Amino acid sequence: MEIRPILSALLRNKTGPILVAVQVALSLGILANALHIVQVRQAVSARASGIANEADVFTVQVRRLQKGNHQEQLAAQHRETDTLRAVPGVLSVASTSQMPLSRSGNYTGVATDRKQYKSTLTTSTFVTADSLVKTWGLQLVDGRDFLPAEVLEIDENTSNEFPKVAIITRLQGEKLWPGAASFVGKTFYFGVGDEARDARVIGVVERLQSPNAQIGERGDFSTIVPTRLTGDDASAYTLRAEPGQLDRVIKEAEAALRASSPTPVIVKVKTMVEFRRDRYRADNALAWMLVTVSVLLLLITSSGIVGMASLWVTQRRKQIGVRRALGACRMDILRYFVTENIMITSVGVGAGVLLALGLNQLLVSQLEMARLPAGYLIAGAGVFWALGIAAVYGPAWRAASISPATATRSA
Amino acid sequence: MFQYYFVLGLRSLRRNPALTALMVLTLAVGVAASVATLTILHVMSGDPIPHKSDRLFVPLVDNGPVQSYKPGDEPNDNQLSYTDAKNFLNSKAAERATAIYGASVAVEPERKDIGVFTTRGLAVASDYFNMFDAPFRHGQAWSPADDKAAANVVVLGRKLADKLYGDTDPVGKRITLSGKQYQIVGVLDKWTVVPRFHRIIGSADGAFSDEDDMFVPFTTSIRNEMQRNGSTSCTDDISPGYQAFLDSECTWIQFWFETRSASDRASLQNYLDSYAAEQRKLGRLKRNAANRLYDVREWLDFMKVVGNDNKLSAWLAFGFLVLCLVNTIGLLLAKFSVRAAEVGIRRALGASRREIFQQFLIETTVVGLVGGVLGLALAFGALALIAMQSTALTVVAHMDWIMLLTTFAMAVLSAVLAGLLPTWRACQVTPAMQLKSQ
Repeated sequence: MEIRPILSALLRNKTGPILVAVQVALSLGILANALHIVQVRQAVSARASGIANEADVFTVQVRRLQKGNHQEQLAAQHRETDTLRAVPGVLSVASTSQMPLSRSGNYTGVATDRKQYKSTLTTSTFVTADSLVKTWGLQLVDGRDFLPAEVLEIDENTSNEFPKVAIITRLQGEKLWPGAASFVGKTFYFGVGDEARDARVIGVVERLQSPNAQIGERGDFSTIVPTRLTGDDASAYTLRAEPGQLDRVIKEAEAALRASSPTPVIVKVKTMVEFRRDRYRADNALAWMLVTVSVLLLLITSSGIVGMASLWVTQRRKQIGVRRALGACRMDILRYFVTENIMITSVGVGAGVLLALGLNQLLVSQLEMARLPAGYLIAGAGVFWALGIAAVYGPAWRAASISPATATRSA
Repeated sequence: MFQYYFVLGLRSLRRNPALTALMVLTLAVGVAASVATLTILHVMSGDPIPHKSDRLFVPLVDNGPVQSYKPGDEPNDNQLSYTDAKNFLNSKAAERATAIYGASVAVEPERKDIGVFTTRGLAVASDYFNMFDAPFRHGQAWSPADDKAAANVVVLGRKLADKLYGDTDPVGKRITLSGKQYQIVGVLDKWTVVPRFHRIIGSADGAFSDEDDMFVPFTTSIRNEMQRNGSTSCTDDISPGYQAFLDSECTWIQFWFETRSASDRASLQNYLDSYAAEQRKLGRLKRNAANRLYDVREWLDFMKVVGNDNKLSAWLAFGFLVLCLVNTIGLLLAKFSVRAAEVGIRRALGASRREIFQQFLIETTVVGLVGGVLGLALAFGALALIAMQSTALTVVAHMDWIMLLTTFAMAVLSAVLAGLLPTWRACQVTPAMQLKSQ
């Protein structure tokens, strides 16, 4: 094998190889961590909200300039719902107090026992007078949806009434009653202490993200209660349009709402796609930046390897000529440079793995990032070995093409 | 001699165009990445109001329920209840004071070509404008008497004023907000505060939010039961109705004190402690937690205005710069090693090692300068790209003179640093060996 002579040649001239190894180590250290963070962020922003086919779902907020009393507000809400249902292409309409991923909503601490002083978890409460399960296509895994008779009509400003039934998410049920076979029929409490208000679970949905879609299980703690609220001068509805009709439906829904109202109204529309984009904007921006840096990193490292290898080839023209004159074939020269580069890259990859682990340790302790899985190190090592060989191939081929006659010429 | 070496340096850029281009590009990309992230970090963590950041304080008293509380727990919320805010406003505990909460109103313009629309603003005390150096284009803030009388007066933000009245001065006119008439007393000018430290809570973009559209007296907003717009945290059940909400322990108001001097902090803290003790006698603030004061910098820290993602980006960019430097060292080594013969001749003709060192170092500085100019252009491009990502970042992603100079210094310094080893190696050439091998 040629390893011994290559090694002793390397040891005689250390600066260049060390520089290449350091480059590989740095790149691998940064790349493994950067790509891991990208993957983590992508996983976060790819989480399902629970809403089926989000592209067809949007929300309309109607603000009335004349608020009116309880009865007038109820009438207005019914009229608005009917108006929206009549728009061609609307599959389903439901009133809703908030939207998943909208970054603004209502949260309440809930408990499983009235004597409990600390709430078990914080849930986001969706208030609807219709069926969010139907409009959003939520997956009902146990129990049933609300019956129209269960919907209460409550004036926030005068009444202290609260709905007695609720639909919860599966994860919330598992957190409230660990190990229970079914959550349907169980009672939990909004708030803690003597004034906490009880509600009975009548249905369980697989998933419904909260308005903030927090990381971890608390982003999946949601409760739906059947109520028509008045007392605010605005009401919000969520609609599902027929696939591909969203833009037209939005335009017609806005126009219909304005036309049907006897008093001036302000109508605001936002699609589920926009909510999702805004919620994950920061995560996506970071992911893009990391991907850009990673690509630049690879480019610069490979250009560094090419540069250094070319330099060595130029420096050793004469020696190569001599070896060729003494009977070495092109393959031998090619193999020499590739082997040499693999040795340097291996040292760099070894150091890079350590650096990646160290850097990750720092990120975990200082910036609350996730721990690096071994897969990234293995993949990263593979990438840099391949990159090293690919980068050195050009210069090595040029070295192999040096004619033996070079050795006989001076300079 | 310096000038001559400089010209030589410029010429040598052309001698090896591919290698030089690679070197300049590497340096430029590294510098641009670190400057772009550093600019964002620098602006985000800047002092928004340097001349009084140690005289503005946020008071926090913990009114959370006592049952689930263990001493040392984090405070229940970072806002105040109406009761505490009102008491602080009436206290005269400091030079100036203001309560703040987001209010949302429907604007009914006189002009028929603009339909009715909703706008977001703030309910504040008259001191607010002086405390935070709000610049007025027309008119002025309302008076403390207006505060007391809960008068229907309004100060408009510049964008809303432009939209409704164009270039004309609307001071004295009346405007209909959510069905009630308000008199316009002032219009603000362009007001850039980064980070917008008094607006961190309750707006989607937090400390990097846009200017507010209108301001009404806190007392007026309460009297007219204006729609709240922001975060509200309630720990216990509240009775229905607006008055019950005001009387509750729900926290939804932010508060700022301004003291005459930074040393008045202790007396403000004393006031806060005695206030809390007094309230405890009345059966409130049962947790008996520490009452806190935050000055502007402490508040920015407490609210984590500079996120971990921003720090991560900056760290990463610096790792990237180090890589670029190592790469440049390699390329410079390559560039200089080809010129061993040239060094040999110069040395044989009498140039000292020092001279050679100077010449090569100046040459790398030239590379650094070119890399710096290109890096600056790239950094501007990167910042423009970042600004396009969101409106909140548009506020942040702008360069100032300090960052401009930093970029340049960084590029040149990196080049010189990268050039040290190759230059030293070039000086080690022994003239005799070189001449012999020719």
